Amino acid sequence: MEYIGEATWIGELGRTLVVLAFVSALFSAFVMFASRGDVKLLRWGKAGFLVHAISIFSIVGLLFFMLLGHYFEYDYAWKHTSLDLEKRFVFSAFWEGQEGSFLLWMFWHSVLGLVLMFTAKKWVAPLIGFLSIVQGILVTMILGIYVWGTKVGISPFVLIRELPENAGLPWTKLPDYLQQIEAFADGTGLNPLLQNYWMTIHPPTLFLGFASVVVPFLFAMSGLLKNDHKGWIKPALPWTYFSISILGTGILMGGAWAYEALSFGGFWAWDPVENASLVPWLVLVGAGHLMLIERNRGGSAHATYLFVFLSFFFILYSTFLTRSGVLGDTSVHSFVDLGLNGQLLILLFTFILLPMVFYFYRFSSIPKGDGSEDFWSREFWMFVGSLLLFVSGFQIIFSTSIPVIDKIIGPMGLIPILSKQMASPVDEIAHYNGWQIPFAIAIGFLMAVGQFLSYRKTKLKWTWVPLARSLALAMLLTLLFALPYDLHKNPLYFMLLLSGWYVVVANIDYWISVMKAKIRFSGSSMAHVGFGLLLVGALISNGAKKFISKSPVHLSESFPSNENLLIELGDTVKMADFGVTFTGVEQIAHRRYYNMDYLKRNEAGEYEYDFSLRPHLQLNDQMGLVPEPSTKHYFHKDIFTHLTYASDMDKRGDEDGYGEEMEFLMAKGDTFIVNRHFLILDSVNAEPVFDENQNVKRLTIEAVLRLLATNGEVYFVRPSYTIEGETDTHHEVIVKEAGVKIRFEDVNIEKNKLFLITKQKVDDDDEFVVLKAIIFPWINILWVGCILMGLGAMVAAYQRVRRG
Amino acid sequence: MKKTHIIALVLIFTAIGVVISTLSDSGTYIDFRSAQINMGKTYTVIGELDKGGEIKYDARNNLLTFYAIDKIGEVSKVYYRDVKPTDFERSEDITMKGFATDSGFVATEILLKCPSKYNEQNNLADNE
Repeated sequence: MEYIGEATWIGELGRTLVVLAFVSALFSAFVMFASRGDVKLLRWGKAGFLVHAISIFSIVGLLFFMLLGHYFEYDYAWKHTSLDLEKRFVFSAFWEGQEGSFLLWMFWHSVLGLVLMFTAKKWVAPLIGFLSIVQGILVTMILGIYVWGTKVGISPFVLIRELPENAGLPWTKLPDYLQQIEAFADGTGLNPLLQNYWMTIHPPTLFLGFASVVVPFLFAMSGLLKNDHKGWIKPALPWTYFSISILGTGILMGGAWAYEALSFGGFWAWDPVENASLVPWLVLVGAGHLMLIERNRGGSAHATYLFVFLSFFFILYSTFLTRSGVLGDTSVHSFVDLGLNGQLLILLFTFILLPMVFYFYRFSSIPKGDGSEDFWSREFWMFVGSLLLFVSGFQIIFSTSIPVIDKIIGPMGLIPILSKQMASPVDEIAHYNGWQIPFAIAIGFLMAVGQFLSYRKTKLKWTWVPLARSLALAMLLTLLFALPYDLHKNPLYFMLLLSGWYVVVANIDYWISVMKAKIRFSGSSMAHVGFGLLLVGALISNGAKKFISKSPVHLSESFPSNENLLIELGDTVKMADFGVTFTGVEQIAHRRYYNMDYLKRNEAGEYEYDFSLRPHLQLNDQMGLVPEPSTKHYFHKDIFTHLTYASDMDKRGDEDGYGEEMEFLMAKGDTFIVNRHFLILDSVNAEPVFDENQNVKRLTIEAVLRLLATNGEVYFVRPSYTIEGETDTHHEVIVKEAGVKIRFEDVNIEKNKLFLITKQKVDDDDEFVVLKAIIFPWINILWVGCILMGLGAMVAAYQRVRRG
Repeated sequence: MKKTHIIALVLIFTAIGVVISTLSDSGTYIDFRSAQINMGKTYTVIGELDKGGEIKYDARNNLLTFYAIDKIGEVSKVYYRDVKPTDFERSEDITMKGFATDSGFVATEILLKCPSKYNEQNNLADNE
């Protein structure tokens, strides 16, 4: 049977390309490992990978074509896009689903693979060989074929009528189902939270970061394969710092998105999905520093291998955590189980076993450290710092893994040891901060001091001077920022602030006094300064954040005072030093803006207009109403305003607030109950108007009704109904006191009764909003820190390439 | 003993500390009845919205009240002193952190699991 209007070629081409990508990856892996220096075979292997990369690029292009062309017969297009989706958000739609995000990952692997193929010289064969294995397993995630009855992967090129749940349904047998069934005319659209500009750049950056962690891993595997434990470090170093830069930037962009578009009021919430991307980064930073030790002094080969393998392992483990659905109860934004768990576990275990096998096979030939590090050497403290980063990552991932632990040893798990289901810590933020703040303090001090130590042995006499003057300046800055916000009352906060400023000052000092402020040596200093500023900014903006929208209502003493405040339309409410007026509502397309004027007292003590914020609601058919905050940015603080409720969010009645329609057929003398009032029909008046031929030109019929309240109050109501030629007009009556609206709809001639419609007041007349407003002091320090850290790591990568 | 060994030992002890602290910090998912035994102590309860019960959001007092059914089928009135989350009525599972009182469970934090497009697909597949 021929279906009308289906673009089946997209699916056929797509699936063919996926198979081609899979086969070429396997081919490339096989040939690369078989080549053993054979130039001809190497060329074949390269060709294989080229075919693989081109297939992946074509799949990506084809999927974009499908999404942009609104081919709603395809499940992926139908689920993730709609006709009214703005073009720039088609990128967000691409990676909204698991299939698309796997593709994005493979896309970056292919790009990185091509770069490696043309630059890695003697390392090409093993690098591309191992990468092809990774790619081969990843492609199976989007294969979507059945192998011995088991489904392998989920294809993005599936027609809706081919979905297993639709198999055999009657409509799938209609040749013109696309035209007949209305649902196919438009897709269900993109999650409104993703319709944000950060969502068009955050995922590709994060995924490039995620994907690039594979490069140091490939180099380490190649080092083991070639039994060359030193040679791979040099070419891998710039890649490692590239990865640190991009992954770090990607994670922080996610924070920026959360801050701009989400409602929790902050940039970091220790959410499992955030943790899952942070941990590989922490371990990778550790690995990068161990690689520096190994390159400059040697003796840390074992630790370097382990850290590189661990960083890639955590990438895969994060993938498993976020995509397997295991986090369902603890995270709001993880993917739901798509039935890929088996494959995800295969991916994970392959890359636990493969490196382990190689590592233990080469164990005896990997050089050991002689343990002769001097206590005052740079490498010793860098080593300690790397371990600290790992322990910090371990703490985060362990707590995030509680649902996984529960799956293994919980009451319903594989080995039921525990009798109760484990839950995440009751106060998660306090739990994570309790561990991570001390770690951050320690790492900060290491970063401040470490730079001034030299490899092998440091002449201490000389080093104390810059360290002491930096510490003095850092202390001054710390006091300057701590005192206004009472941060010194919390010793941990105070130490973190000091540690952060110490990193900043000491590294600037080092760059100026030792590196002579040369731009080409600025990489590590810049990245360290960035990290220090990040600690400072995160601490001040979070530790000193202030809810200015406090409501006076308390539930009990132990209950925190409410952080939401109600403002009626036209009212001005005091929020800290501001007066805030709710001046109106404006709707633009599917976004409804609530205008809030912030007023400030002038010298005379009168309120004066300062600025406006417009938090808004996105009106979305599938997701309901989605609020988005609005923030006023100053140099030294942000004023974040978030709409938590608006009275028009769940309007039940008409524009005028009347709803719950009831219909009555009434004869004279009948009584009905409307909104706790008796409605009685007393009489009917008819008032005809005749034209010159004595025909009825206009007829007005009036119902004379009485509305009786339980307290004895009586309202007389006279709704009327006029017929003139072909047109009817109705005169509706509203009794405000009773909250009743009456319409005389028609006369039922057969039954000789009047047809009346009543509505009652269901909505509050007064419009109001409930707001949450927070001041984040010095959050700009955080963002500057992020940018410097990303840039610094990039400069470090560039330096390494230049030095060759 | 080499310095690296000392560090390794410190590392191992820190890791053990992490594990123990996480396990002791971690709550357990319990039901309303167990929460009743220790009134005022914070627990995490997973349940679902009782669709038959009244859901009331009083915006002026900023109080959401609803009824939830826990995993063993017990119904409890829940007070949540915050704004009604978007899509509340459509939620599948509700994870509630809070404490029990005489008149019901007071949630300080709630997390919804909403039926996403994927869920629907999975449920359909499971029914086969």
